[in-house]
Amino acid sequence: MPNSSMSNQTTVENWLKAQLAEQLSLEAEAIKATEPLTRYGLDSIDAVTMVGDIEDVLDEELPSTLFWDYPTIAKSAQFLVENYDVSALADAKDEPVEELEETVAAPVASAGKSKGWGGLFG
Amino acid sequence: MTNLEQYQTAEALEKALGDPNIPESVMSFQKVMEIDETEAFPHEEIEWLYNWKLADYYTPTNCGGKFTNFEEFVAIVRVLCRRDQTTGIAFTTMFWSFLCWMAGTEEQKAKLSKFVREEHGAMCLGYSEKEHGSDLVNGDLTATKVPGGYLLNGEKWPINRATISGISFVLARTGEKGEAKGLSLFMVDKREIADSEYYNLPKIHTHGIRASDMSGIGFKNCFVPDSMLLLKEGDGLELGLKGFQITRTLCAAFSLGAVDTALRTTLNFASERVIYNKTVFDLPQPRRILVDAFLDILLCDCETIGAARGFSVIPQQFSVWASVVKYFVTTQIENTINNIYPVLGSRFYMRDEHDFGMFQKILRDNSIISMFDGSTVVNLHALMLQFRQLTKQRRRRQPETMKGIAERLEQIFSLANPVPAFDANKLELFGRGMDDPLHGLEVALKKLDELQQNAELNQEVLSKLINLGNIVLEELDAHDSEIANSKFEFGHDQSPELFEIAKKYCTLHASACCLHMWLYNRNSLGDFFAQGEWLVLSLHRLLRTIRPLPYTISEHYIENVAQELVKLHQENKSFSIVPIQLAEANTIKQEDNTNAELINV
Ligand SMILES: Cc1cc2nc3c(=O)[nH]c(=O)nc-3n(C[C@H](O)[C@H](O)[C@H](O)COP(=O)(O)OP(=O)(O)OC[C@H]3O[C@@H](n4cnc5c(N)ncnc54)[C@H](O)[C@@H]3O)c2cc1C
Repeated sequence: MPNSSMSNQTTVENWLKAQLAEQLSLEAEAIKATEPLTRYGLDSIDAVTMVGDIEDVLDEELPSTLFWDYPTIAKSAQFLVENYDVSALADAKDEPVEELEETVAAPVASAGKSKGWGGLFG
Repeated sequence: MTNLEQYQTAEALEKALGDPNIPESVMSFQKVMEIDETEAFPHEEIEWLYNWKLADYYTPTNCGGKFTNFEEFVAIVRVLCRRDQTTGIAFTTMFWSFLCWMAGTEEQKAKLSKFVREEHGAMCLGYSEKEHGSDLVNGDLTATKVPGGYLLNGEKWPINRATISGISFVLARTGEKGEAKGLSLFMVDKREIADSEYYNLPKIHTHGIRASDMSGIGFKNCFVPDSMLLLKEGDGLELGLKGFQITRTLCAAFSLGAVDTALRTTLNFASERVIYNKTVFDLPQPRRILVDAFLDILLCDCETIGAARGFSVIPQQFSVWASVVKYFVTTQIENTINNIYPVLGSRFYMRDEHDFGMFQKILRDNSIISMFDGSTVVNLHALMLQFRQLTKQRRRRQPETMKGIAERLEQIFSLANPVPAFDANKLELFGRGMDDPLHGLEVALKKLDELQQNAELNQEVLSKLINLGNIVLEELDAHDSEIANSKFEFGHDQSPELFEIAKKYCTLHASACCLHMWLYNRNSLGDFFAQGEWLVLSLHRLLRTIRPLPYTISEHYIENVAQELVKLHQENKSFSIVPIQLAEANTIKQEDNTNAELINV
């Protein structure tokens, strides 16, 4: 459905804008979908790291060079919409940057015992 | 002789090179000092290494050589660099061949294999430019498409072996400045380009590795055929960064080779020199400094050998592990060398006294290792970018995740078992939050707990290890909550605090590697290793930098480690968790200012 893919495209674009705005300390409105991401100070290694953030939300393995191959928000959003189920981004859109503390559980209990020197030097 | 097969080539090379204390040996200390003083490139020594067929060990078996994994490689490079980092590095620019082994076509690989193994060819890596060091994507050297190939324009500088090499790996811009896909990597064979279209830049005079061919290369409308392009146009940065994962990790071997000699020459002095009716080594403070230096080597061994083997098991995690090794091992060893020179006294500063003046040369040579091939800040920066994902992934671990990690750790750290051949296709630009050595810390702690049933083990050592292991865990948990609660921003304006957090992460990483190394090799690396006292002291030494801990944890353990150090020194074995036999048990007794006299022991 063209309509839904159009709105998917917008959802992904907005999510990416919010993400970038947060992590580059910019206003989301100031980011244009058609400008190269590097224009906003996102360097090549940052761009690779950002793929990991999307992987987390989509729960899919993406090409690590995604933002190198599709270097604008419009192009990368289009690639994602065409190749992946992006509905998870729609759900995440109100909360652009995932708060680590709240979203991840700690299934493997830390075996940490006493603080400090723990009788080591007794 | 060690019974670990992967160290036997290093031992054979040692033997063939001969005792470096004997002036007639290949790469003897006397010769390499002369070379350093004249700053003339070590052609003869390099040719000797080719004739020994050392290039085979830089070439994978499927390309006609003998290379299968990096553990053997690290041991070989240490043998070279304990004699001379200049020659060791000059020969080892051949590790750039991995760019071709990784990405080349069958023709490109066959050609390079023949070039290095049969034609004794060498190569250089042209990434840096005068105006752009670490900032690769803004390079000015361009490659413009023309029919059948490209025209190169621009200069690469400062480049090791830019002049004395037949092949240059050149990173050139084929797109816009700043674009990640705007770079392409060429394997430029100088025999096949017009002499008039390229030139070399003059020798750069350096503080250390003075006999190196430090120079540069420039191109002026230089035609290179399409067959010299590696992968596709635009793939240069990805390939370059993956190549760095290999070479950055291997840089640790340059440092570990040099520090062996730094410590050995200082021990030669400290065990002979009498002051206040005692040898220097019998004074408590210098003795402790030298024991600490030995511990530094052992703990860096755990990190380096672990990584060298890890390449074969978890190559996809090396965007993290390579950064840790490159930062941690090279700076730790720099500190080690700085810590021990006061023990050598004024001789550390002299250019011909005491073992031919090797110490001052090592001090100068070694200080480049943490800088080239990705500097300390570049590596810490690369690491910190992955912190959020490392933290998330660690918290998400499930019992099956832990099972997988435990299996991989056993494969990586059990030195008695061969690792699979290295597969460069599995390298990844980012590690998806995985870091087995630290994420498997709980596996190690559980094993320590289980060892409490083992009557053969010294339970005092074990209880100290458990306590220290738990400190590592507490610090790692604290690191994770710090990362989880801090706001992250991209870009290059990372806070100085974050650099310190990254350093601390590396310290915890090294601690975890030490624990794993001990746990999986207690029964195979000899009594001293098995005792675990060195491990208690190493963990204490590492953790003391991030927590206030008492200066001494056990005088008794320190004394035992001192005894082992003396034993390795007397038996002429390398300072390592896998001590190899060094060439011929001959020592030079050298009086200051007098001629060297050979004594058989
Ligand atoms: C002996 C020797 C051999 C070499 N061999 C080679 C070779 O074979 N091939 C090759 O291509 N190059 C080689 N180099 C070049 C070397 O890799 C570069 O010098 C290195 O990349 C640093 O570049 P730069 O000095 O231009 O400094 P820049 O990278 O321009 O850095 C300038 C300053 O910015 C800081 N900085 C950089 N990045 C960050 C960051 N992310 N966060 C905070 N601060 C930062 C640096 O610490 C430094 O203070 C060699 C250099 C030497 C000295």
